[in-house]
Amino acid sequence: MSIKLNNVSFTYMSGTTMAHQALRDITLEIKKGEIVALVGHTGSGKSTLIQIMKGLLHPDAGQVTVEDGEVGMVFQYPEAQLFAETVYEDIAFGPRNQQKSPEQVDVAVKNALQFVGLDFDEFSQRNPLRLSGGQMRRVAIAGVIAMEPDYLILDEPSSGLDPLGRHNLFAKIMALYKEKSPAVILVTHSMEEAATYANRMIVMEEGAILFDGKPAQVFTEHREELLNLGLEEPEVYQLHYLLANRGMQLPMVQDEEQLFKEIKTAKGWR
Amino acid sequence: MLGEIMLGQYFPGNSFVHGLDPRTKLIATLIYIVVIFLAKTPLMYGILVAFGILVVLLSRLPIMMVVRSLKPVWLIVAITFVIHAFTYPGTEILWQWKFMKITQEGLELGTKMSFRLTLLLLFSSVLTFTTSPIVLTDGIEKLLRPLKCIGVPAHEIAMMMTIALRFIPTLLEETDRIMKAQKARGADFGKGNLVKRIKNTLPLLVPLFVSAFRRADELATAMEARCYRGEEGRTRMYELAYRKEDYLTFIFMIVFLMMIVGMRFL
Amino acid sequence: MILIKNLKHIYKDSQNQEVEALKDINLEIADGEFVAIIGANGCGKSTLAKHLNGLLLPTEGEVSVDGLNTADMDNLFQIRQKVGMVFQNPDNQIVAAVVEEDVAFGPENIGVPSEEILERVNNALMAVDMLPYAKHAPHRLSGGQKQRVAVAGILALEPKYIVWDEPTAMLDPAGRREVLHTALRLNKEKHITMIYITHYMTEALQADRVIVMSRGSVVMQGSPKEIFSQNKLLEKYSLEAPLAVRMSDKLRQRGAKLSEQIITNQELAEGLCPSN
Repeated sequence: MSIKLNNVSFTYMSGTTMAHQALRDITLEIKKGEIVALVGHTGSGKSTLIQIMKGLLHPDAGQVTVEDGEVGMVFQYPEAQLFAETVYEDIAFGPRNQQKSPEQVDVAVKNALQFVGLDFDEFSQRNPLRLSGGQMRRVAIAGVIAMEPDYLILDEPSSGLDPLGRHNLFAKIMALYKEKSPAVILVTHSMEEAATYANRMIVMEEGAILFDGKPAQVFTEHREELLNLGLEEPEVYQLHYLLANRGMQLPMVQDEEQLFKEIKTAKGWR
Repeated sequence: MLGEIMLGQYFPGNSFVHGLDPRTKLIATLIYIVVIFLAKTPLMYGILVAFGILVVLLSRLPIMMVVRSLKPVWLIVAITFVIHAFTYPGTEILWQWKFMKITQEGLELGTKMSFRLTLLLLFSSVLTFTTSPIVLTDGIEKLLRPLKCIGVPAHEIAMMMTIALRFIPTLLEETDRIMKAQKARGADFGKGNLVKRIKNTLPLLVPLFVSAFRRADELATAMEARCYRGEEGRTRMYELAYRKEDYLTFIFMIVFLMMIVGMRFL
Repeated sequence: MILIKNLKHIYKDSQNQEVEALKDINLEIADGEFVAIIGANGCGKSTLAKHLNGLLLPTEGEVSVDGLNTADMDNLFQIRQKVGMVFQNPDNQIVAAVVEEDVAFGPENIGVPSEEILERVNNALMAVDMLPYAKHAPHRLSGGQKQRVAVAGILALEPKYIVWDEPTAMLDPAGRREVLHTALRLNKEKHITMIYITHYMTEALQADRVIVMSRGSVVMQGSPKEIFSQNKLLEKYSLEAPLAVRMSDKLRQRGAKLSEQIITNQELAEGLCPSN
């Protein structure tokens, strides 16, 4: 199962003097089971692309095919969408719109709350607007998870969180991924997140796909281009690069743990 | 949809009208409105139209654009016409069906009223087209200032307008974003009967209000941190000042007013 | 100099429970310093920031700016001219619909004469590289540009201190760089004292002094090297040391001879592959 985009183009304010082409002839397939990091600087077309995948915008040209399944989308600062009087009602909003039976809704809400790590008895009847910022974020994400998406789009889910909050959030997303293996499409400015969590990375620039491949490969092979685009280099790859520059050539690595092992091996430490 | 509304928009330029002090333009607009409602004979209307055209020419705005700016309000003009045409209790009946009738007098009054409204809207569009909202706000504040002694909060009104101008685009963007987020959760904003529809807007309205209040709160803090304490001891970067052109315009407008008053009452 | 003595701040939350947001804080911020304050969300760093210009007042203890006590209402106006503040949300601190009008807002409030306001606005916009945008509408600017406009609005008040309350939390990496560079440059060129609150460790690395807060208290203080080399302690306060520190820690346990002073990747690479 996959989301397919065939030669998709999109222009804002088309036909006016303010016209601005946001996507140029994008062809792309994202399969269930992939974690795709979508990166690029602000205005590169990432946000338009995910809105097209979700069906919130319609392409001017080309086709979008979503092979059966629900596309869930967590917007940036999702806590801004909370509206109901209780946490339960807010999370139930999506499942109810999916015409689920009250029993199914109940199960969906319970599962979603458990997923984001909020106790049902303690939180389900509280006013979501009175929770702490971090809790609000989790309730809002639960509202999307409760729709049991097969394709989960997350737009900057960690913005505004501190390192611990970011870590916890991604631990939960990865747990969900292990259990249900949806396609996860992660829009992020953090190359660190892209490198750590994704198994595929798509770099966008001026409405087109610039690179598409495994994060380690993209970071190692296209270092200069990525830096020129103003994207940050993840610490792991930076260290890898600096070591190579000083004569310690190491094999390609994925994360901190691998880099540690490679350095150990190269230096002959146990 | 909202992009089409030109009413109230500002088109920068260097014309005579652009260069006038906002207070001059506001007072001139008021005089023109008074004159519109004093006009009675076709000659007086002719003078009014001629004056309107002169101002548009002086402002060097494209005439077609000024006319097009009326598009969003033509319905109001049409309703004005219909209401007057159907409700005026005249004697010369032209058409009648059951309790509805159109009279000669009603038709005349309807035409007159919608014509007046069109002129009024056209003239005030020229005001907003040629005056930046900020300068206009300044002008309103200065004009209202003498009314402070009877309790009109001139500075506060102007500050509110300034902040509204600043935040309207931000809140429109926010509306769009929240609407999309709820649509992504399956919300439907256009279905069902009236009660249902109102209920359906809650997922949009509640977050919008919450956000607007949060913004207001943060903005108030930021203003306080930047030493804002109301009007007391405040200066302005651009102080308004009348120039030769403004005095000439005032003289001209008063002559114009007296002329129409003379034609009407003498 | 900003002096904080035995500062305690208690407020009531929505359930009417008393919350101790700041417990007995003692700090001294010297003129010309660039101080970074870091800590997990909810550690009280923003509450502390709002005490520095009297937006919040101490429940106990006192805060004084150049000897002016913030608890004295008569001092507030003067204190706020000295201590400018950049907030997190770039949108919610811009008052006017034109950039230069917004920058003029502060000087107008303190009654600066018109010609001087124009001059101050131009200088302030120039200092943050936003002069070409003087006549633009703020809502069309990027996040980083909006923050720089906000900074210009503060510079126009000619402050001695600027408090930055997580100014980069809502920005993309490009915007973050713009804001941080602006702060560093203004500190160097105009000698404005900076109190910079952030949860990005990489930003705090650039400061003269780092203050770590946790649960309403100052728990660590020192140079970036002193702070960031303490991997274990940082973890305890829900913060993350830079990769170079974590990596050198692990490598040292395996027998590597690496200096405890290493906090950047560059230093670690040099430590691992010393040039001959």
